[in-house]
Parts: sequence; C-alpha cells; structure tokens
Amino acid sequence: MAITGHLAEFSLAEIFQFLEQGHKTGLLTITPLPEPTDHHTSRSHYIWFQQGRITTAANRSDGRGLVTLIDKRGWLGSHAAGRLLKSCDLSTPAGLCFKSQGILEADQLRMLFYIQVMQQVCALFALEDGWFHFDSSQKTPLSEATGLSAPALDVTLSGLRALKNWTVLEEKLPDPNAALISMIDGKPTLKLKQAEWQVWEFTDGRTSLKEIAKHLQLSVRQIQQIAFRLIVVSLLEEVPILKPVSTPQPPLISSQPPKAAAAEATPSPAKKLPPSSPETVNATREPVSQSFLNNLMGFLKNQA
Amino acid sequence: MEIMRLVVTGPVGAGKSTFIRTISEIEVVDTDRRATDETADLKSSTTVAFDFGRLQFGPDTALHLYGTPGQARFDFMWDILIRKAHAYIMLVAAHRPHEFRYSRRMLAFMRQRSDAPVILGLTHMDLDKAWSQKDILLALGYVKGSQQPPVIVVNPTDQQSTTRAILTLVQYYFTILQAAPHPQVYEASQPCS
Repeated sequence: MAITGHLAEFSLAEIFQFLEQGHKTGLLTITPLPEPTDHHTSRSHYIWFQQGRITTAANRSDGRGLVTLIDKRGWLGSHAAGRLLKSCDLSTPAGLCFKSQGILEADQLRMLFYIQVMQQVCALFALEDGWFHFDSSQKTPLSEATGLSAPALDVTLSGLRALKNWTVLEEKLPDPNAALISMIDGKPTLKLKQAEWQVWEFTDGRTSLKEIAKHLQLSVRQIQQIAFRLIVVSLLEEVPILKPVSTPQPPLISSQPPKAAAAEATPSPAKKLPPSSPETVNATREPVSQSFLNNLMGFLKNQA
Repeated sequence: MEIMRLVVTGPVGAGKSTFIRTISEIEVVDTDRRATDETADLKSSTTVAFDFGRLQFGPDTALHLYGTPGQARFDFMWDILIRKAHAYIMLVAAHRPHEFRYSRRMLAFMRQRSDAPVILGLTHMDLDKAWSQKDILLALGYVKGSQQPPVIVVNPTDQQSTTRAILTLVQYYFTILQAAPHPQVYEASQPCS
C-alpha cells in the first residue's frame, strides 16, 4: 500500500518520525513542487533508510553522488574513484572501502556524510511543497554509502533548528493555548539545546505555550517552534487545556433531548466550577452489568 | 433504564456523523452547522456540538452513541463526552495522511482524560491512496512494543459494517472489564437516575 503524499499535508519532519519509529528500511524520494523548470537542476532528492536510520542521501539517481563529492574536494578523481569502486567487496559501503584502501581517513568520511545527509537533507525542510514516496523494496546503494548513519530524529532536530522560514509548517505548530505532556519515561536522551530543555521542563499538561513563553521570556512563536521540534522527535505531545465546565447532565445519563443538553453543556462564565481533571474520570462513569453486555453483544451479532 | 454510552470520535470528515446516522434506530439529533472555515473545503456542514443516536435492544436497555465535533476548538465538548463514555471508537480516514497528526493529538487528549477502552475504525481503506493498517498505527504513535488497540476497517455508510464495529468495541470493553483486577474502578460515586 502507498506511503505517499504531499509535504504540505504530511511534513518531512512527520515522515522522518514515522520512518524512525517504524524502523523502516527503504528509499524516500522527494520531488519538489512546483518542479524546477531549469533542466540542469536535479528534479528529485533521494534519502535511504536502514532500520529507521538515514544511511545516505543524494540528488541524483545514477549512484555517482558520493564519488562526485570526493572529486569536488580533490581527494580523488571521479574516474579513479569509479575504478576503485569496482574492486570493492560487493557488500562493503564505498566509503569504508576507500578507507580500507587508505584513500580516505575517518574524518573525511564524517565530512562526506555531513555534506550528504546533514546539509542536503536539512535543506529539504525548507521546501514549500513536494511529493514524497517511500519504497521499502529499495536498499541503500553501496556506491553512495559512507558506512555511517544517523537517526532520522537527529536530522529532524538539526533541520528544524536551522529552518528560518516556518511558513510551510505554520498549520502544524501547536496551539498557543495548548499545554504539553511528555511521551517518554524519564528524561530525553537526545542532545537538546538549552531552550529545548527549558520547554521540556513545562511538560505538565497544565501550562499553556503562551505561559511558557512568558516564563522563558521568549516569543510565543519561538515556543511553538521548539514544541513542534520536540513533538516530531516523539518527546512531547500537545494537549488542549480545557476551560472549566459544568458537571455533565442529561441526556448523557437520561433521555433529555440532546439539543437541550448541548446548550446546558456549554461552558458558562458565570459558573465557578473546578476544572475537570483525569482524577475525576471514573467518578462520572456508571458501569454496565454483565447481563447488559451479554444481551447487547447478542443483539449486535444478530444485526451484523 | 440501563444505558451504555459509546463515543464516535475522529477528525473532520472521518465519517462520524454518517456512522451514527447509519446505525441509529432513531433519527439522529445532530448539531451540524454550515462550515465557514477550512472545514468547508471538506464538507458544507460540520458538527458543532455532538451527534446523538440510540439503539434500544430491550425494554430497559439501550445503547447511546455520541459523535464528537471534529474541530479542535470545540474540545470542551470532547471532554464532556469522553468523561461519560464507557468506550470509544476513533475513526481515521486511511487516505488522508495529513489528518494522522491531528488524530494522534486527539488520542493523546482522550488518553489523558479517560481510561475508557478505544478501538480504531479505519475508513476509505479501499482507495488507492490509502495507507496500510500497520503504517497508520505507526503514524498515530503506536510503535512496536506498545499496546495497540483493536483495529477494524469500517464503512460508515454500511449498516452491517457499523454494527460490526460497535460489536468489536463492546466486546473489547467486555474483555477489558473481565481482565480488570479491581472491577470497582468502574463504580460511580453518584448513581444514575
């Protein structure tokens, strides 16, 4: 089945979160929209994943992205690199092969990986729209691989920290009136920046983003952006803060017409009632008897 | 009268109102109003309070169905409904990945407010652009190793399909109730009148 769509609807950060959490292996193709009119500009970007980690990326599909990068740095001509590649073990990434032959050092491999992934992929976060497609049948091409990899969430954090124009993610940002809750046990193991740690400290489900902004003396927009970063790396989730509401009355427990109940359930500023809280949940739900459930299941089975 | 209350929730356009209309034995009381915001791109009207449907299956026994508003700004209504619900079904349109994040947020909200059992009802699974069940669960935050809710493919316009979905939900509620070490957790402090 399809894993495809538009970045305007399912952002790159959300795709990365999905691929990392699912430990997916395959090729993610991103085609910018509108498509470039300049024929010299590459049309698509390719990012390969192995078990949810990004192994390599390229803006060409001929498998010569890595040797071109090496050539550009003057470390080895692309023709020579191409010839050497042919002598590599078929199961060894090109970067490791060059390293084992003494052509590249570990630092050079890290730099190549940084350019391939951190620079090329991070730039994609600024795309206003694009079409994405994930193909789980495609494995990382060894000719493009340095042998290094990075968790997709690390790349997301870096990409979003560097993002200047957030217009494309405007609708995805958490509501300034919402609060944040933690989605993990304990503290994050990701390397967070100071402001991210400070926002993390407010994951109490009660403090709104607006209030957090006041506390930290940052703009609401900055807090929204930080919160979004932490949400898409699966550390936080946004939850609405509810205004105090009156204790629900019929028809939830009787046969009063629903329209009347809807009106009654509307929060009234005149009523000073305590906000609902998770602790009160069970106090408002009546159990149903086993005989009721047996009768209901029998009834539904007959209907189905 | 003994009543079980089930909530049908999900993003705008997931099929909540249709689901309740299909299964209800009474004419559904809805609070749909003309959509004037981005919802209008999806449909001409949207539920601003809740939908209400009913299935009576004995002289003193009935199932009440409540459909939540799909828009986030009506979240106080979600709270009222979810606090009273015995169980709920989250409808997710399989071909609309842009709504997965919103569904994920709704689930986080529901989990925070209630321990009522939930099942997922996937709609539009027959469309070309539909994501697989496994991938939708993942996009909703159910990662490997986490407890996943029962999932059922449902057609909100089909009476048998909606009945099967409700049956799955009731059966799941029954299983949870049976497995609960302290059944008194479901006791209410105030009896229903």
